[in-house]
Amino acid sequence: MTVIHLTTIDWIIIVLYFVAIIGIGLYLRRFTKTGEDFFMAGRRNSSWVAGLAFLSANLGALEILGWTGGTMKYGMAVAHWYWIGAIPAMLFLGLYMMPFYYSSKIHSVPGYLKLRFDERTRLLNAFSFAVMTLLMSGINLYLMALVFKILLGWDWHVSMWVSAAAIGCYITLGGLMSAIFTEIVQFFLIWAGLFLVSVLGVMEFGGIGNVMEGLPSTMSTLWSTTGDPNANAMGVTWLGLAMGLGFVLSFGYWTTDFLVVQRAFSSKDLRSARLTPITASFFKMALPFIVVVAGLVAYKLGMDPASGFKLPEDPSNPGKLWNDAALPLLIVRYYPVGLVGLGITALLAGFMAGQAGNVSAFNTVWTYDIYKAVINRKASDEHLVWVGRVTTVVGILLSVGTAYLAMQFNTIMDYIQAIFSWVNAPLFATMLLGMFWKRTTSAGAFWGLLAGMITSFGIFIGFRFGWIGADLASLLTFTATPSDMTRNLWQASWAWIVCFGMTVVISLFTAPKPDAELEGLVKGLTPKADDGKVGLLGRPGFWAAVALVVLVALNVYFW
Amino acid sequence: MSQDDSGREPLPIWFFVGVILAVYGVLVVAGGFLSSRPTVLAETKPGLWWGALMVVAGGIFTAIGWMSHKKG
Repeated sequence: MTVIHLTTIDWIIIVLYFVAIIGIGLYLRRFTKTGEDFFMAGRRNSSWVAGLAFLSANLGALEILGWTGGTMKYGMAVAHWYWIGAIPAMLFLGLYMMPFYYSSKIHSVPGYLKLRFDERTRLLNAFSFAVMTLLMSGINLYLMALVFKILLGWDWHVSMWVSAAAIGCYITLGGLMSAIFTEIVQFFLIWAGLFLVSVLGVMEFGGIGNVMEGLPSTMSTLWSTTGDPNANAMGVTWLGLAMGLGFVLSFGYWTTDFLVVQRAFSSKDLRSARLTPITASFFKMALPFIVVVAGLVAYKLGMDPASGFKLPEDPSNPGKLWNDAALPLLIVRYYPVGLVGLGITALLAGFMAGQAGNVSAFNTVWTYDIYKAVINRKASDEHLVWVGRVTTVVGILLSVGTAYLAMQFNTIMDYIQAIFSWVNAPLFATMLLGMFWKRTTSAGAFWGLLAGMITSFGIFIGFRFGWIGADLASLLTFTATPSDMTRNLWQASWAWIVCFGMTVVISLFTAPKPDAELEGLVKGLTPKADDGKVGLLGRPGFWAAVALVVLVALNVYFW
Repeated sequence: MSQDDSGREPLPIWFFVGVILAVYGVLVVAGGFLSSRPTVLAETKPGLWWGALMVVAGGIFTAIGWMSHKKG
């Protein structure tokens, strides 16, 4: 079954995208000479450039397709992932954590762990992050090939190898700056290519009021049905959402995942670095106007048999409808020739930029936190750039290998997608204590982080193989019959709690580093970020307050 | 980023964004004229006005990028 048929103009638009990104890589090659250029984009970016890249590194096509389809299932609640599940963490990163990251002039998040704690904590995080990014990159590649095979009839192998080759080419040439340029191009393509779907959907219904009219409260509100997990489609409570998503998962991802934080490191000064996630937060809050609105339009059309809108069967779950096809079906419904090509290019760019983000973060962590830390401590700057380029090619090949593995053994995807909560959720506890409690010791950080990771993995495996009985399950999730979503949220929460508790207890019984070694790394031993004579409109605190007001207003309006 | 061998700074990203939006805008407008696909709301000619908006936005970004590059 092929859903979308492309014309010559559509093909020209798609081919031009490949020409543009490889051309940008070739152009930037001549400006990429040092390690700072290749891995940190020269640390010369404004907060606008770094902020849009920060957001775009997270904004993959999978997320857009998945959450548009998710809106058909969960309704407005999907917006939690863009609002409570992102904005407080992004603001916290900009206001409170960035001074420690940026001032220490590190190349990566594991680099901070080395300075603050020791080599073993850095290596634990560097290895787990490297494995996580490569696997995620491979899964992204596999799902891209799957989506394009079903929607466009493209050959699996051609989709994977052509996109992998293009990404390998421009990252090898221009390093992080190439990744950042293509991420920003992707950001604009997604708005240009996909926002019109929501606009036309609303126009078809005669206004947003008509789209919302008649929807049950589980579909049209954010919080009002979260008092009882059985009253909302996600099967979650407000506590699970606030603790699991709003705190642990969100802070774990946005404040410690090097994939996104690396973009802020490329800023030209501390003020720009602090503004990076704050600038990104405004655009993050706007994304539901593509994703959720399109999902609600698809839901309403699906309720009306006369609309002609019908989801195909899910290729992974025969007999069930494939919600992820909602957005491409809306493209077919509304878009004329040319716009179809633009919409497909936006999705393609989303897939490829997400993968490029993973590869550029992987090459930095491998080069600085594994190769230079363990294999060749005396490597020159020139040699590290060479290693970074080779690592990019190897990383791409391993991603393709993972994609083929996922194609053969579909169930490994569940494991790979769960890795995020094994790695990032406990890491946030380590970072929080490391930055804000100078008594935290190296032993506490290492064993706490390891215990948190094992806890998360253990709960995942326990649920997966049915080793966790009903009583223990309800004890762990504070819910009588926990949904998959509730389990995921509490799995991350427990990982965080165990890591936090273990780190505190062990730290109290072991010797901390002397203050002199912690200057610039811990609150109380780091000079306060000074914005100097910058006016109100240039201050991170002002824009964070504005973002917070907008966040509260959106949540109250859609309560 | 370093300067190239001739001592030049790279063009800002906004220049590339502008050129891509403008070129795509022209192609979308062309597609809007040529399209015979029977789509919902075809009568509103989305390809024409959306493509035109992209050309305008692309022109603005290209100009901003070029001027900031010239200013150094």
